[in-house]
Amino acid sequence: MSSVLTEDLGPRGRHRVQIANWISLLAVLAIVAFVIYRIAVTGNFAPELYEQFVNLDEGWLEFVIAGLGNTIKAALIAMVFATAIGFFFALARIARNPISRALARVYIDVFRSIPLLLLILFGFFGIQQFFDISQLIGLIIGLTLYNSAVLAEIFRAGILSLSKGQSEAASSLGMTYWQSMQLVILPQAVRRMTPAIVAQLATLTKDTSLGFVIGYEEALRRAGALAQAPPSNQLQAFVFAGILYFIVIFALARFARRLEVQQRRKYGAGKMEAGAGLEDIEALGEEADEDEMAAREPEPAVSG
Amino acid sequence: MNPITFLIDNWDLYIDGFIRLFQAANLAFVFAMVVGVVIASFRVSPIRPLQRFAAFYVTVFRNTPLLIIFFLFFFGLPKLGFTFTPFVSTVIVMSLYTGAYLGETVRSGINSVDTGQAEAARAIGLNFREVLGTVVIPQALRTVVGPIGNLYIANAKNTVIGTTIGLFVETTAAQRLANSTGQPIAAFAAAAIFFVVWLLIAAQVFTSIEQRVAFKR
Repeated sequence: MSSVLTEDLGPRGRHRVQIANWISLLAVLAIVAFVIYRIAVTGNFAPELYEQFVNLDEGWLEFVIAGLGNTIKAALIAMVFATAIGFFFALARIARNPISRALARVYIDVFRSIPLLLLILFGFFGIQQFFDISQLIGLIIGLTLYNSAVLAEIFRAGILSLSKGQSEAASSLGMTYWQSMQLVILPQAVRRMTPAIVAQLATLTKDTSLGFVIGYEEALRRAGALAQAPPSNQLQAFVFAGILYFIVIFALARFARRLEVQQRRKYGAGKMEAGAGLEDIEALGEEADEDEMAAREPEPAVSG
Repeated sequence: MNPITFLIDNWDLYIDGFIRLFQAANLAFVFAMVVGVVIASFRVSPIRPLQRFAAFYVTVFRNTPLLIIFFLFFFGLPKLGFTFTPFVSTVIVMSLYTGAYLGETVRSGINSVDTGQAEAARAIGLNFREVLGTVVIPQALRTVVGPIGNLYIANAKNTVIGTTIGLFVETTAAQRLANSTGQPIAAFAAAAIFFVVWLLIAAQVFTSIEQRVAFKR
């Protein structure tokens, strides 16, 4: 067993696990059966509720999938801005000047503490007071404010995770601060942070659904419009939107995990401390730990 | 108008929303701990169907936007004959969602304890419950205090999404005032003050707990 809690079981233990397997399997099946039963008795298997997804003439399927395109567009643009601004604040946060450090710290702490929903409302309705901006821009402003603060912490963690000897060696070669940053620190740090950045892109894509609240036409809002049109099929439409989002987010999360595992194989684990709001990135590190363990497990069996 | 005077003028509405949010978020977090411990124990148990179920649960909840889970729960479930008030819906959705993350955190905490610790405990004759209660869990808890603090903060921020299904929270107050007064910047900034104060205090509390329980080496 892979857990610290159980050893290899004896015959009696295995027998008990066997029984527990059957009982829990039945319990899971019972839950599934109950859900299917409820869907059936409430008439939610009626074919007309699914017609909109199959009947291509009406254009609903295209309409919702194009919404996913809008989701990806907003996520990508926000990611570019958030990365640039986050990088700037990360450098300001570790600079030697105490004023720049304090200002960067305030920016990062404040924008990480405010719910993204509030920032998106602010980005759209607040800015609209002065400029006539579209929902897309409002959403991008909200996403950028939040994610630049989160990314700044990722960059900082990546830079600080390098051994101090690296910058000391660089300055003993006579490099200036910027030279050592460019030639020594950043190339190594960026490599180390790439998986965390990709994981944050997955989180950002997930959060783009909040564009709903300001009326941005992403996949969820379009699925909502589809549900409003007769026949009223909220359940089916939101499950459909969920699946669309899931595919994109899951693919990105998988990609991030593969990068992390690859990186550890090549360069060893460089621990990055993640902070508040980075729950997906923390999970990423744990998953990679596991994959590594799983990859290593067979070895002692061969040698021993 | 500046946000502070705006906040004082509309104090009642803001504090009303804040109290509702505070209740929902903290209640959800308590339930999320229960969900998290259950999910984690499923994943470390030797029982295959439970492992699979927990893994499936975590994957689905972690890779689906929270807003969609809210909508499915509040607009989808009534179609199957289950209806809940916005407050109850928010608490249930948030405990399920944060529970998925907490489950992974608790599990990684358990796995961070060295296998030798449990083996040594078994070798001196402790039974399963004693191994868990006196050796593994006390050590596991120390490593997860930090991540749990982060999840508390994330949970608090995410709970405002309850506003989309009609729960009156902080952001609902701000949105209403932004509309009625025509001063969105002051209205949203005033709401933001609550979060910055609340969550920076929470972060501080968790950091000091973390330092107190840290291994003294």
